[in-house]
Amino acid sequence: MSKKLGVYVCGGCGIEDCLDLRKLTDLAASECRAPVVRTSPAFCLEDARMIREDVERQGVDGVVIAACSPRVNTEVFSFPSAVVERVNIREQVAWSHPPRHDETQSLAHDYVRMGVVRAQKATAPIPYTEANERTILVVGGGVTGITAALDAALAGFSVVVVEREPVLGGYARRLHRRIPSRPPYRDPQPVDIEASIRRLESLRNIRVHKGAEVTEISGQPGRFDVTIRSGEHLENATVGAIVVATGWKPGDTASFESYGLGRFPHVVTSVTLEEMAAKGRIVRPSDGGPVNRVAIAVCDGPGDARHLPYEGNVSCLVALKQALYIRELCPDAIVYLFYGDMQAPGQYEYFYKRVQGDPGVFFSRGEVRSVSEEADHKVVMEVHNTALGGAVQVSVDLLIVSTDMVPASLDPASSGSLNLRYLQGKDLPTTSAGFVDSNFICFPYETRRTGIYSAGAVRQATTLAACAQDGTAAALKAIQCIENSSAGAAVHPRVGDLSFPKFFMQKCTSCGRCSQECPFGALEVDAKNHPVLDANRCRRCGICMGACPVQIISFDDYSVDMLSSMIRAVDIPEDGEDRPRILALACENDAYPALDMAGIARLQYSAFVRVLPVRCLGSVNSVLIADAVSRGFDGVMLMGCKAGEDYQCHFIRGSELLATRMQNVRETLDRLALEAERVHVMEVAISDSAEIPAMLERFVQTVRQVGPNPLKGF
Amino acid sequence: MSTAMPLQPDLDFKRQILALGAHDLTSCYQCGTCSVVCPISTPHNPFPRKEMVWVQWGLKDLALSNSSIWLCHQCGTCTTYCPRDAKPADVMAALREYSIGHYAVPRFMGRALSEPKYLPALFAIPILIFAAILGWLGNLTSLPEGPIVFSKFMPIVYIEVLFIVALTLAALGGLSGGLRYWRAMGDEMGGSRAGGFVDTLTTILKHHRFKECQEAPAGTRPTHKEHLHRSHLLVFYGFLGLVVTTTSVGIGIYAFGYLTPWPFWHPVKILGNVSGVAVIAALAVLGYRRLADKRKAGKSTYSDWLFLNILFLTTVTGFLSQLVRLAEIRELAYPVYFVHLVFIFFLLVYFPYSKFAHLVYRTVAMLHARRADSGSPSEPRVLTVEGLQVPTALR
Repeated sequence: MSKKLGVYVCGGCGIEDCLDLRKLTDLAASECRAPVVRTSPAFCLEDARMIREDVERQGVDGVVIAACSPRVNTEVFSFPSAVVERVNIREQVAWSHPPRHDETQSLAHDYVRMGVVRAQKATAPIPYTEANERTILVVGGGVTGITAALDAALAGFSVVVVEREPVLGGYARRLHRRIPSRPPYRDPQPVDIEASIRRLESLRNIRVHKGAEVTEISGQPGRFDVTIRSGEHLENATVGAIVVATGWKPGDTASFESYGLGRFPHVVTSVTLEEMAAKGRIVRPSDGGPVNRVAIAVCDGPGDARHLPYEGNVSCLVALKQALYIRELCPDAIVYLFYGDMQAPGQYEYFYKRVQGDPGVFFSRGEVRSVSEEADHKVVMEVHNTALGGAVQVSVDLLIVSTDMVPASLDPASSGSLNLRYLQGKDLPTTSAGFVDSNFICFPYETRRTGIYSAGAVRQATTLAACAQDGTAAALKAIQCIENSSAGAAVHPRVGDLSFPKFFMQKCTSCGRCSQECPFGALEVDAKNHPVLDANRCRRCGICMGACPVQIISFDDYSVDMLSSMIRAVDIPEDGEDRPRILALACENDAYPALDMAGIARLQYSAFVRVLPVRCLGSVNSVLIADAVSRGFDGVMLMGCKAGEDYQCHFIRGSELLATRMQNVRETLDRLALEAERVHVMEVAISDSAEIPAMLERFVQTVRQVGPNPLKGF
Repeated sequence: MSTAMPLQPDLDFKRQILALGAHDLTSCYQCGTCSVVCPISTPHNPFPRKEMVWVQWGLKDLALSNSSIWLCHQCGTCTTYCPRDAKPADVMAALREYSIGHYAVPRFMGRALSEPKYLPALFAIPILIFAAILGWLGNLTSLPEGPIVFSKFMPIVYIEVLFIVALTLAALGGLSGGLRYWRAMGDEMGGSRAGGFVDTLTTILKHHRFKECQEAPAGTRPTHKEHLHRSHLLVFYGFLGLVVTTTSVGIGIYAFGYLTPWPFWHPVKILGNVSGVAVIAALAVLGYRRLADKRKAGKSTYSDWLFLNILFLTTVTGFLSQLVRLAEIRELAYPVYFVHLVFIFFLLVYFPYSKFAHLVYRTVAMLHARRADSGSPSEPRVLTVEGLQVPTALR
């Protein structure tokens, strides 16, 4: 643990104008007892060499750089043989606090103290590099799967494709035409899936299992052991990463009962119409007679409880496409197209305009209120709230209702399960709508099982073009996963992180919280119910570390002890009335960058706040909060991402778990006879930098009202 | 239970409107910007958005039985601001053109004036009538001798009789068309009867609507409307001046025996000449702007040009008659006068079926709207896309 520390205090970028560097170096040399202390007008330029020389020749193995934010200059300040700790005295001190002020100086001192403690306690992680299989498994042989397999194979990886049906091609095979995917985006195009299938089957590094399914997946990224069953035949394969492209199936027709589907012969789904068009005849289903009036109802959408709880543009685009089928095959027919919102994003606007240009297609928004049948199986629809100024009634020969695209993940029992041998279950976790769950904004393809990427209609309702794009994207993610896993590095969001949690098993109480709470199912349990880590499944969020009631989980460079020591390193003034101290545990994904950006914008905020970055709010063990208040902090702020249904948490459940742990924290405060207001959870998005000063100030005021922490000085 | 309006779309009607220069209509996505920027549409009767959707849905009865199409004065603001370039102003113009044919009594006259192939026949009628008269008088083979006096060529009384008969028929045609339109709009609307006519007349005489079109600031984009108020005012009063001149001459001849030609200095003569110049000048501007501002002015159809040209040529031949008469070119003066008479006939007798019919339909629409919309026309405009009203008669 004993290290030779070097503390490097940079004076550049305005730091010198704001802070007394002399006092900082004195602090490092005397109080922190660092043998090497240096300053420079700009360590990021030639003077980086000074640090390098100290590391290489002077044996410095703990480097504390008090300069800019750890979010910048990462390459410059990378010294592989040493532990590097960055102390942010630029964005979060010099740029955001009054210059040459005692409180600003104290803030910088505390940050240096915290950094030194961390550098002393951290060790350089040794990566886990034993899983390096370079084959990719693609589950599902539709457009998405075919594209993923082709792209991965062409990039030099071996691919195993598993398709449930006896043929490849998926739903695309059943389509008459596809929504235009190329300029000028005007007319439906031939599907032409056969060419891709031929290409796929011609490549030697792709092995295709048709009429097959995955019966078991165990292991971790870099080495998943997969069992594939084709008929009676079982086959094992080892793969490094998995692309799930299991697609969709038409929704239950019962949800269209009120549209007359099933009761009236002339009400059909868009799937049926696609089949009719493929046969080249769109006719009255009852007697094969011609159709003169056809209605298409784009009837999915949040307004209609009978359907899936989301709305996509696919049903709109399909309706546009099918309107053209009807106009082409029945030139005398008029098509009424009723929709809630016409969604034709991006280039599809041209397609929409082109269909609008056909005088025989009539558009209106509208809600289909009732559907009945009159003589000769004609379908009478009453449509309300139309653009025509109210309710209208139309009589049609054929009513087409848009099919719900139900993702395979909603019902794995019938759509095929991945049969993961994971403690947390055999299927991929899904959203409430049944789609495979992912951080939709930042990591759209990453499922909650590291190394398994979802793509295509199982991820969201998509067109064929988007499916193909998804296939490519997921293949790239799978490749990235294989490359990183074989180096023992995290794939995302902490790309390249070599650390992973370690367990001081002697003290483990087998409570199982770590293995239950890990959002990624990284932990299995052994016979004694002790956690067993699959290192490459881990995303290094530290949620297990936050969960563990006996604090036995730690990373080489991140642990409860380390954070606790950093908290205790802060100097707490006795006169808390005038100089309160507030600890801000800030999520490094959103809150910490937002604080940096506030500094970059030169917004000024309270100098009473000490910011301690954490990997995720989920990694905050409740003992840390207890430590902070017993140490004398007047308040503790937990700044993290949005939790809940529309979560922004980069580790899915971190913010949510913190909220449940707050119950413990409140009990602790109660036991210490402290006010609950002293601890506050704050949702901060990366875009909130302008609000930061006000957010902090509000909490400072709250804490001032509550009064100084009575435990100060104990 | 059902208050839903049963729809019977007429695809042919939609196609015909598209063919009348409104083919961009299909790209309308019913956002309502047109009604919001329109300087003269009212909350009770917002347009042209509802016309857009009615035509898109082939709802002929609705589209033709509303006053809006004739309340519109074609400033083109809607077209200027349409986010999808659906050119609502062209749709309104096409609907007006279509409705003249639609309400025409007799029906075939509406068609005759809207298709170029009937043009020779339409000219043949006055030519044959006038030629017959001249032939009977013997003036067809030899022109009258002596100083040029047009009444020697074609006696005023013949002209009077012919035109009184023809114009009575035309007026009946115009009146029937107007009445059919009125009935189609429905007669069950509220509002005060008294004063409606006077108000409408004042609005027309003062060209209030054109002015509103010009003055209401919809935004910063330049529109077609700048010259419309002035040009139309000029052509309107010019034409009125010519009507007054002609009437005065008639009265002069029959009541006072004051025979033509009258001297130049005569106030009626001065009025006539000034009015003629006004009409020609205004028409030149209108025609030029149609050509020059093609985008802003909207599509110009056969009917548009036919009417503009007939009115223009009527006035020009009138002037020419006067000029060649003064120049004493006998061989030219009488033939030019003949042509002038043919154009007058075309202009006046066919008026209920040409674009000229707007004087009937627009007046009817304004009267109807005035009664339906009992509020003042200048009440503050509410920016709304709602309020699409379906006439009770059609529910």
